[in-house]
Amino acid sequence: MYKILAACGAGVNSSHQIKDALETEMSNRGYDVQCDAVMVKDITEDMMKHYDLFTPIAATDLGFESDVPVVDAGPILYRMPAMAKPVYDQVEQAIKDSGKA
Amino acid sequence: MSGIIDFANAVFKPLIDLGAAPMMLIVLTLIALAFRVKLSKALEGGIKLAIALTAISAVIGLLTSAFQDALNAFVKSTGIQLSVTDLGWAPLATITWGSPYTLFFLLIMVIVNVVMIVMNKTNTLDVDIFDIWHLAFVGLLAMFFGANLLIATILVIFIGILKIINSDLMKPTFNDLLHAPASNPMTTTHMNYMMNPIIMVFDKIFDVIFPWLDKFDFDAADLNKKIGFWGSKFAIGIYLGIFIGLLSHQGVKEIFTLSFTAAFCLELFSLIGSWFIAAVEPLSQGITDFANRKLKGRTMNVGLDWPFIAGRAEIWAAANVLAPIMLLEALVLPGNKILPLGGIIAMGVTPALLVVTRGKIVRMIVIGALELPLFLWAGTLSAPMVTETAKKLGAFPKGLASGTMISHSTMEGPVEKFLAYLVGNASKGQITFVLYAVLALAAYLLIFVWYARQMKKRNKIYADEAAAAAAK
Repeated sequence: MYKILAACGAGVNSSHQIKDALETEMSNRGYDVQCDAVMVKDITEDMMKHYDLFTPIAATDLGFESDVPVVDAGPILYRMPAMAKPVYDQVEQAIKDSGKA
Repeated sequence: MSGIIDFANAVFKPLIDLGAAPMMLIVLTLIALAFRVKLSKALEGGIKLAIALTAISAVIGLLTSAFQDALNAFVKSTGIQLSVTDLGWAPLATITWGSPYTLFFLLIMVIVNVVMIVMNKTNTLDVDIFDIWHLAFVGLLAMFFGANLLIATILVIFIGILKIINSDLMKPTFNDLLHAPASNPMTTTHMNYMMNPIIMVFDKIFDVIFPWLDKFDFDAADLNKKIGFWGSKFAIGIYLGIFIGLLSHQGVKEIFTLSFTAAFCLELFSLIGSWFIAAVEPLSQGITDFANRKLKGRTMNVGLDWPFIAGRAEIWAAANVLAPIMLLEALVLPGNKILPLGGIIAMGVTPALLVVTRGKIVRMIVIGALELPLFLWAGTLSAPMVTETAKKLGAFPKGLASGTMISHSTMEGPVEKFLAYLVGNASKGQITFVLYAVLALAAYLLIFVWYARQMKKRNKIYADEAAAAAAK
């Protein structure tokens, strides 16, 4: 199981769109992925340790350096397949690089 | 217009009699199908909306029932009449999406957006379908205070046009704050940025009187890191439980119960809020696909929800500092009836502060503290409408005291709520309100025009800097 942490302002709208899109697309590509959606402000270093990838809505200043890979997932929200595809490809590459494919 | 309304009533009456949840299941599903969404996806969205409506009413019932006795005792022991329970944004969104008028206002704004694009009055395609509820709320509020559907629709269109223009005006600032290239299409049509003009007035005053305060700006990310989970939703619920429990002289056991009830309700509000997003997702995609087909490849900015800017730590640092300030203001503010709870993390307040001040944290906090009364008064003003609508939807617990009301302490667009109040009352023909409404709308427009000029000056500087950098 590859675990992804999605984040946005309220942890409800945009991050859930990212979560649903990543779980659906990665499942279609044959990967076992679980994505959680949270508020940016609730993220701590301890929380981040439980995930393999961080997919914020945009570049995010957390006050600490993330040890896990980061993919900006904002373009998923444009609702245009051509703009979402590069994000999916980066996420797929991160899964392959992790050895959890 | 009355003919249309009579016809709509004839069509909708049998649906309305089914209750809000089944009615919205049917209405949302049909509208999604009209935008060529697959039947299974359209139906899935409709069912999720019905479930969310049902769930939110259950949680509101739990929260208000648990706090009822304590709040009564709180009023007795302190003399402070804060009779409006602050549920935060998620239940308010649920209640607003429970009205078929919200879908009507959505349709109107899709048409307005497409017309503005075709006429080259904007470069922004608004895909943030879910957050149309902020604008719909203004329309519903105007109708509650006496406006007919036509007047409410005109008000919605007027504010909606300014909202879309504002998204174009803010675009270069977003690129600056996110260090994004000009090719990045990300902007937002969110209602909370309609506070920008008023914040800019404060910001200009700040420029003249207190510019020296900027040197006290601190590392916002560092503050957020130190606060950790103590600023989370459930922690806020715990504080409120303890606060109310102590001031209402509850026992230790009761204080624990209040705290844990508030904490889990705040968590559940967010969780159920996410079901809404899932519910309108098929419709959102259908409308976006429709608009893209009509645009034939024109490059556009894309209007999203506000939180793509949430990665800026100043938003959260300011919200964390403003939370206790708001609580204190709520206790002493004349005319306020809201006890901040669900909306105490002021997400409806701080994003606009960030955009106007461009991250000057001390300015954000000072101006935020000055404008918070507007939010508390607007929340108080909206409480009767929210309460009545919740009762109609069956989202209000039976057996609560008659004076108990629900609302939201930091709901986006406080100024627009006052406009709705004035326009609604003016529609009833009271000459004083007609005068106030005309003056208020003129002032609202004029301050926006002034703000737009300031933003255009700012955007020219951005463009000049980019051109200079490219020439090097």
